[in-house]
This record gives sequence, C-alpha cells and structure tokens, in this order.
Amino acid sequence: MSDTQQPIRPAVVIGGNRIPFARSNGPYSKASNQDMLTAALDGLVARFGLQGQRLGGVAAGAVLKHSKDFNLVRESVLGTSLSAQTPAYDVQMACATGMEAIGSLANKIKLGQIDSAIGGGVDTTSDAPIAVSEGLRSVLMDLSRARSTSPKLKAISRIRPRDLAPNAPGTGEPRTGLSMGDHQAITTKAWKISREAQDELALASHKNLAAAYERNFFDDLITPFAGVSKDTNLRADSTIEKLASLKPAFGKNLGAEATMTAGNSTPLTDGASAVLLGSEDYAREHDLPMLANFVDFEAAAVDFVHGADGLLMAPAYAVARMLKRNNLTLQDFDFYEIHEAFAGTVLSTLAAWDDPEFCKNKLGLEAPLGAIDRSKLNVNGSSLAAGHPFAATGGRLVATLAKMLHEKGSGRGLISVCAAGGQGVVAILEAR
Amino acid sequence: MADKYLELVNSGLTKKLATSLGLPRPSILRRYAPGEALLPGPVLLLGDSSSAQQLADTLLGWGLDVRRHAVGVNRLGGIVLMLDELEAPAELSAPMLAAGAALRQLAPGGRVVSLSREALDTDAPAVAAVRQGIDGAMRSVGRELRGGATANGIVLGHGVSPSAPSALAALHFFFSGRSAYVDGQFLSVDSADGTLPADFSQPLAGKVAVVTGAARGIGAAIAQTLHRDGATVVVVDVPGAGDALAKVANKVSGTALQVDVTRPDAGAKIIEHAVARHGSLDIVIHNAGITRDKLLANMDARRWDSVIAVNISSQLAMNEAFLAAELPGLRIVSLASTSGIAGNRGQTNYAASKGGVIGMVRASAASFAAAGGGINAVAPGFIETEMTAKIPVATRTVARMLMPSLMQGGLPVDVAEAIGFLASDAAAGINGRTLRVCGQSLVGA
Amino acid sequence: MIARTRVVLDAAPSLGSLYAKATGARLRQMLPDAKREALDLPHVEHQLAHVPVDPAKLVAYQRLMGDTVRDTLPSVFVHGLVFPLAMSVMVRDDFPLPLLGMVHLSNQVNHVASIPVDATLGAIAWAESMRGHRAGTAVDVIVEVTDGTRVLWRGVSTYLARGVWLGSKPGSQTEARTPFVAPARTGSWKLAADTGRAYAAVMGDYNPIHLSAFSAKALGLQRAIAHGMYMAGRALAGATPQSTGYDWEIEFATPAFLPSSVDVAFEDKADGMSFSGWGARSGKPHFSGSITVAPRTSASGE
Repeated sequence: MSDTQQPIRPAVVIGGNRIPFARSNGPYSKASNQDMLTAALDGLVARFGLQGQRLGGVAAGAVLKHSKDFNLVRESVLGTSLSAQTPAYDVQMACATGMEAIGSLANKIKLGQIDSAIGGGVDTTSDAPIAVSEGLRSVLMDLSRARSTSPKLKAISRIRPRDLAPNAPGTGEPRTGLSMGDHQAITTKAWKISREAQDELALASHKNLAAAYERNFFDDLITPFAGVSKDTNLRADSTIEKLASLKPAFGKNLGAEATMTAGNSTPLTDGASAVLLGSEDYAREHDLPMLANFVDFEAAAVDFVHGADGLLMAPAYAVARMLKRNNLTLQDFDFYEIHEAFAGTVLSTLAAWDDPEFCKNKLGLEAPLGAIDRSKLNVNGSSLAAGHPFAATGGRLVATLAKMLHEKGSGRGLISVCAAGGQGVVAILEAR
Repeated sequence: MADKYLELVNSGLTKKLATSLGLPRPSILRRYAPGEALLPGPVLLLGDSSSAQQLADTLLGWGLDVRRHAVGVNRLGGIVLMLDELEAPAELSAPMLAAGAALRQLAPGGRVVSLSREALDTDAPAVAAVRQGIDGAMRSVGRELRGGATANGIVLGHGVSPSAPSALAALHFFFSGRSAYVDGQFLSVDSADGTLPADFSQPLAGKVAVVTGAARGIGAAIAQTLHRDGATVVVVDVPGAGDALAKVANKVSGTALQVDVTRPDAGAKIIEHAVARHGSLDIVIHNAGITRDKLLANMDARRWDSVIAVNISSQLAMNEAFLAAELPGLRIVSLASTSGIAGNRGQTNYAASKGGVIGMVRASAASFAAAGGGINAVAPGFIETEMTAKIPVATRTVARMLMPSLMQGGLPVDVAEAIGFLASDAAAGINGRTLRVCGQSLVGA
Repeated sequence: MIARTRVVLDAAPSLGSLYAKATGARLRQMLPDAKREALDLPHVEHQLAHVPVDPAKLVAYQRLMGDTVRDTLPSVFVHGLVFPLAMSVMVRDDFPLPLLGMVHLSNQVNHVASIPVDATLGAIAWAESMRGHRAGTAVDVIVEVTDGTRVLWRGVSTYLARGVWLGSKPGSQTEARTPFVAPARTGSWKLAADTGRAYAAVMGDYNPIHLSAFSAKALGLQRAIAHGMYMAGRALAGATPQSTGYDWEIEFATPAFLPSSVDVAFEDKADGMSFSGWGARSGKPHFSGSITVAPRTSASGE
C-alpha cells in the first residue's frame, strides 16, 4: 500500500451559493427540502458553469427530513444540470451537518480520491415531517403484518382517539427534554453572560449583515429563491432599545435572571446552501477561482446529559484540539466565524476560551486560549441576523469566510459550529 | 406563448372565413432552425452590376439555385436586386419592374434584398437621387409583400465591394429565417472588414459573450441564440433576478454573474469574470433595460433618472471600461428601441435612453474599431414578452396587427437573431449602426 | 437475630389481588372495634423460586423510560418484577402496618452484576427494621434476587405508615428542615396525565393513586401522582453502567402530580453521579438520589 500512496494535497474552496434564508412559515412554507437544495445547487452550477459535469461527489443533508427523502441529496442532484453520473449522499450531524459534509469531502480531495465536490445542507421547519403517534404507528405496523381479517380487526380495535393526534418534531434534546434554548440558558447563566452583552452581539450581527448586503458582498454568494433575494430575518433598523424591550424566551425558569430573548436567539429558519470544493488542478483546469484552502476540521462532543458541560459547548473543546494539531494559537486568525445559535453560545464559548480554570480543568491546557479581537468576529453578520436553517449554516459559513479571506488576500479564518446532541465542528480556512 | 389569432386565421375553416371576411391575416413567419434551407426556393438575381456573376457564384456556394430570370419558376425563394452601379433614377425601372413581375412567384417567407450604394452629399445629384430612391422603393416593396416575405437592403459604403464579407454576411442574414421580423430595413456596410464563418450554423464558435439583463425575455433569448451559434455565454442580471438567471445559465451551459450594471465597477466585474473564467471577452450585449412609463407631465425624477441610469448611462460607463481594457476585437451590440426613433406616448424617459443608445453606438464606432472591434445597436419594435403579455388582449391584438407590415408582434428570438448576426465577426464591416427589428412597424417607418 | 420462617410461593401474586386484600384490611381496620395487631414484624421470608421475565414487558419498559432496548434488566425493572413478592409480605394478616396509605420513602439497591434477560432468577423478600419516624412508623422491605448461586440484586425499600406509632406518639419534634433550593437543571421531564396508567400497564402496579384523578381522589389525593419507581426508572435510564454492577439510591420528598413538569439535575461525581428532581412550577422537591459505580474487584473471578 505505502508505495502507491499519494501525498496529501490541498483542498480548495472555489465558491459557494445559498438561497436567502427565510423565517419559518414564511415565503418558503410550500418549498420542500429537495426544492431548496436543488435551487442552491442550481445556482452554484450556474455560477461556476458546472452543467453536465460529473463531480466527485455531492454531500449534504437535512436535520428535519421526511422519510421519503431517504436519498435527499442524490434526488436533488438528479434535478440539477449536473451530470446524472455525479454520486451523492446524505449526511446528518444536526446543525453541524453542513460542516461535516464539507469537511469530509475536503478530506477526500486531500487524499486524491476525488477532484471536485459540493458540500452543503438544507432545512425547513415549515415543511417538517409530521409523524403519526407511537400508538397509531404500532397498530399500523401490526396491521400491515396481519394476514387475515381477524388479527387486522384486532389491531384496528387498539386505536385510541389520542393516537390520532400527530407528532410534530420538537427541537428538544431527547435525553433531557429541554429545548436547545433552555439548555443554552443554563450555560449562559453559568458563564454569567449579561443580557446587554447578548443584545449587543445580536445588534452587531444585524448591522454587519446589512452592511455586507450594502456593499454587494453577497452578489456572488446568494441566488434568490421564491421571490426572496435577501435573508428575511435581517432587521437592518434594529436598535439596542428594541432588543432590550423583548421578553425572555428561554430559561424562563430563571425568572428575573432569564436573559435570552427572541432577539438574541436565532429563529426557526428555512434555507439551503452549497459550497464547491476542488483540488488545485481541478480549479486550474476549469478556470475556477481558488478562494481559500480548507486546512483542517475537528469535531467534539460533550456530556450535557449529566450536566458536565453545556449542550452547545463542544466547539470549545474542538478548537483547543484543532489549534494544538495545527500548532496555532487562538489569536492566529484574521476572521472568526462563530455560529450564533444564540448570542449566549458565542459569548459563553469566548468566555470559556479565556477562562484559566475551564482551559486547565476541561481542556487540559497550562494557560487559557485567551481572548480574541472582537472586531474580527462575524464581520459580515451571522446566524442571529441571517437565520439558521440547521444543516445549511455550515455552507453559509464556509463560503462567506472563504470569500472574506480571498478579498483580504492573506490570512486565516476559524469556523465554529455547535450542534444538538452536545456536538460541534470547527474548521480552519486559509486565504489564497 | 401561442398566438390564438395567428393560429386561427392560418388554419382550415377559420382561415377561409378570415379570408372571405377580409380580416387581416398575419402569416406564420419563416424563422431559423439549424439545418433548414437558407431560402424556400431558387433565388432570382436581377440587375446589371459587374459584380453579379461573382455574387451568383457565392450564392451557388451557399447551395442556392440561382436564376437570372423568373421564366419557368413557379416558386421563388428570394430576389436579389443588384443596384450598386445605378447612376440615375431612370435606371431603376428595369430591375424594379423585373422584380415586380416575379413577386407573384415569391414563396411565403421569401426574401427581396437590394444591394445599393450609400447616397452621399458629395454625390452627383442624379446618383444621389437614385441611391436615395432605392430606399423608398424597397421600403414600399416591404409594405406590399405578404405571406411573411420581407424586403430589405444592403447599403455599401464608398469603395466597399458587394462581395465584402459583411455585405455577403448581411445578405445571408436577410435570406435566412434569422431575419424573420426584420422588414423594410437597410444595413450599411462601411468596410471590407470581417470574415465569413467557416460554418454559417456556428458563426460564434469559440467566442465568449456577455449578455446583460439575461434573466428573462429578450435577454434570455439572446443568451440561447448566442449559445446555439457556438458562443460561451456569461449571463448577467441584477442579484434580485438571480434565480431566473441561474436557470438561463444552466440552459445555455454558461455562467451566471449577478451584478447590477449601474454599479461603477460593473464593467470591471464583467471583464474579470469573462477573462478569468472563460479566457477572453469577445462579445458584449447591452440588453439590460427598464421602463418606468409616465406622461411627461406626471414624470418624477426617480422614474426618469432610473431609466437613464440603467438603459444608457450604465452602457456608457461599461464601454469606457471595455475600451480601457483594450479587449481585442470586442464586438458590442446594444439594445435600442423604435421608441427611441419615433417616440412613444408615456415614454419620454425611455425614448431618451434608447435614442441615446443610437447616438452612443454611432459615436463609439471609431473607438471600438480602433481595437479591431465594433459597436452596433438593434432597435426592436413590438416584441411579445412577459411584459407585453400584460397589455389587454384587444389593445395587444391591434398593436401587433395594425402597425407592422408583418401584421404581428415579433418574438424575443427575432431580436436575438439580429443581435447574433451583428455580434459575429462576419459583421465587422458594419459599425455604429442601428438595425430595426420591428416587422416594418409604422413607428419610425 | 431470630431465624425467619421461609414461605415458598408457587407463583408471584398479582398486584391486583394484593391491593384488593390491602383494601380489605384497611376497611377492616376502619370498622369500629377493629383490633390493632401487635406491633411486631412477622419473622418470615417469602420466596419465589422462579421469577418469570417477559421479554416483551422488558422492551415496553425500556421504551417507556426512553432507554435503549437491551437484553439486560434495568434495576428498576427488577424492582418491578419482585414488587408483588415484597407486597405479599406487607399484606400478610400478621404484618403490623396498613399497606394502603403507606408512603414510599426511599430505595437503596445494590445492582451487583449485569442481569441478562434469560437469567433464571429467584427471589426472597422480608421486612425488617420497623422503627419510629417523626411522622409515624417506618419499615424496610428487603428483596434479594439470585440466579441460584449468588445474589445479583438486593433492594431495600423503606415505607412509612403515616400516623401509626410504635408505642406512644413522640413529642412534637421540630427539626429545622432546610428549605429546598433547586440546583441548575440539566433536563426537564414532561409527565403526561396518563403516565401512571402507562407505567401500570407495563409493570402491573395498578395502585389507584397513580391511575387517574378520580381514583386518586377516592384515596384522598387531589390528583393522580407519578409512581416513585417511574421517576427512579427515568433517572436511571441511560445513566447506569451496562457491564458492571452499581449501587443506587433514591429518596422521595413530595409527590409529583400528573400531569406536570419535573425539572431534573444530574451531576457527575467521582464514582458515579447524583440526581434530583423537583416541580418545575411548584419548586417542591420530588426526589434525590445517586448512582455509585461499584469499584471493580480483582477477585471477580473472570
């Protein structure tokens, strides 16, 4: 084996595309995951002239998925003008789906297994799957197994009125019964993150995103969909006063100490994103731009079930490990893209990195990772303003950061995405 | 979109009914499809020009059946009038009457094309008279033809031979279904520049073309036509139209560039995209345009200024960027409008911008020629688009039947075909000109 | 220590019949002239030579608790299997305390080793340590589950007969009870109105106080309350080791009415974890407990 092994080569981010993100039950309420992912892919194909090309692979996923969408990504690819010979597969890692899809494709490129790929994700909470109740499901399964009338009637007789109520998917953690926001409320309080600090971060997100639109930053990152050409959650005219007037939405059990509102938390959002990756040779042969190298990525998970860590604190661990592997410090970055699931998530993570005790006891570090230059954080806005269609956020972050790095012409960027189940994926991109 | 009226008056019982009732009966136009014959029958070559034999040889080379008189021909595909050597009005009689005698044999979708010389202020009065007279005569022929047949002319500049590449290319264009909705028009050939394509079905092979406003309507048709003719197409539109734009890009296997053409760096963005992604920039079609109609008495600055900014100022700014980039052989075709020639009620702003395009191409011709390229305009008349589909049915029917000789509105593809022709290298001898694609509308003659 | 007389049962008694018997006893005690039995525990132990395990019930239990379906027995499930045996001791005519109205105070369990679903199990149950309590009389009911060679599971359930006094009623003891302060929650359980019925359907424990507001009211409660062992089962689900033994204990404070939300907190400790639950709205403590992973002994003969 060893004498045929290829050296590891760079995987480059060529560009990205997403549809504008839209608040749940809004303009995309009739669109399915497949519709939206196909649109995001179509826009990417159009931007880079990939029509008829057989790519090495397309990996994406959705957090909330209908069972009929078992092959969501492949079905979407078949609906685009990519070659029908392009293989595709579904990935699911909650809100880190997009990052995991993109990272694993980058690895394949690095190993020389494939030359080109599209990674991304999609989610809709407007067209979410509704399941029948467990009672009805059990009856229906027995009914389909029954071979004669008598057991069929017997099965049917077991249906109770309450079984007819459908089950909508919740965003609660199955093992704790707490919603993600209620989990973050615990972490936010533990790190003593103030309401004001959270509202300020939310305001900055809106202002930065609005400014990015203003300077046409998204012209080659977004393709409109269903009559929407801008993220509908964006409130360019938001003010700190307006944010301060909102009532707590999460951690309400904390009473007066509750700090998390609809303003400093991401709303349920629909949307899709896609990122084109390739080897350097692929990009050169097809006259495609090379925005950034996808240098490395790392996943981590924490035990939130038994309270050892906050649900969304896994990136704190992942970054520490990734920095060590790459011999970098937390300050060696020109841009930080920290997914704003909640303002409290970003601020808790930053606080943890800067906390000697956390870094020593939890991360096993002699010295804390330290603070970051906040002017380099989410400079073109993030999820609080743009919204967060779970699996689609990774693609948004990678494409945005790659473009920022390419515009700057040098430097390095850090991506951090937390996910349900106490997980997180982080990544390093380098300008080119 | 199927035109019900056009369909009805051209089929079976309703056709008979329409004829007996004397209803206007617009014809189904002969439009280009790859592989179809250049003309629907033999071509009659009239006139005593010394270039006649050379031209006949060329036409034979195009696979046409060339006749010098109409005797024994039941069905003519086209008539070419070689009028380039006439010296006085009296000399027009013989060729015109010969053409007239052959008109009844002209097949539906047939073509009458004249070749003449430009009337100059320095010409002898008699020479100028006959040359200018040809203009009136040919336009009148256009008005008399039926069955989707058209009459157009080629006007040779001083010292330009009838066998100049662009003259031949113009003739080929007028013969072809590509000129279906061009009627009663003259194309001026100013130089012997240009090269005929090796393959007339792929006149844009190897070219990189940018089409602005390509998300829908005429722009989308232009992108498809240029792609069909061999070009690699970059489609451009405002970011807000990106979804429709992506569909067009994917249809033509091109690339989509979302940029607002009124941005100061639009020209630079276009050059950067075309050169970086496709290796060159050979053709630009300035199609992006908007209407903000209002009677002048009710016009506000927002309406006026936005139309001027998009329809003409942006083109001026982009052209400067293109010239500064010294792109070799860059050919530009800009969208004017018959409103810019004859005016239109409620469209003072639009007409100013479109008239402006005509002036711009004339005044930019020399600069682009200096870099081996050229710039021309196409002025569409009534074209059936999503926009015109919103006009009430009765008004629309009247507009499309009563105004043009061809008694119908054109299709986006008709405009696209004219643009494709002017964008080709074969049209390099045509520069600073505006070609109307209006079915010989009354508007602007 | 006086040796206990062993009573061998042919099969596990049904809880329904035991509750009926308990109710009958209660009624008898409520009659005028009802004679108070002597306040002595009977010196007996009840044995069940074979404790049947229904794999379908095991799956139903694991699903109910939101646990992974495995072929080893959860500790609370074992408790449920032998609960009728324990009850059979408490409903004996010579058992000095009335069963109905008895309050479940706590459990301490040594789950000595992993118990496969197909293990052949036997069990012995007896009562001991009847003692005074500030609110009445407490008693421990011990059950040992064996596979014939060794004890795999040993549970001590402590019950309180409220208002029943050994000898004379003690003077009013005013222990300063420290007010309960809820810790930071790590989870929240939504207990539906049918939680009691669902648990009863799986474990057979049809105690009327858990089934419905109506049946609970008949026994003097405002609403139905959750089975203590249901909450113990939820707490242990996913938190206990699978391949080694462990000890656990739970203490019950106030009952959790149905339906309601119970906030819970789990906290890692050096050798296991502690947990507690309280009313999300009322703030009243429902239970607290811990799981201790037994240190691996090198003499475990593997």
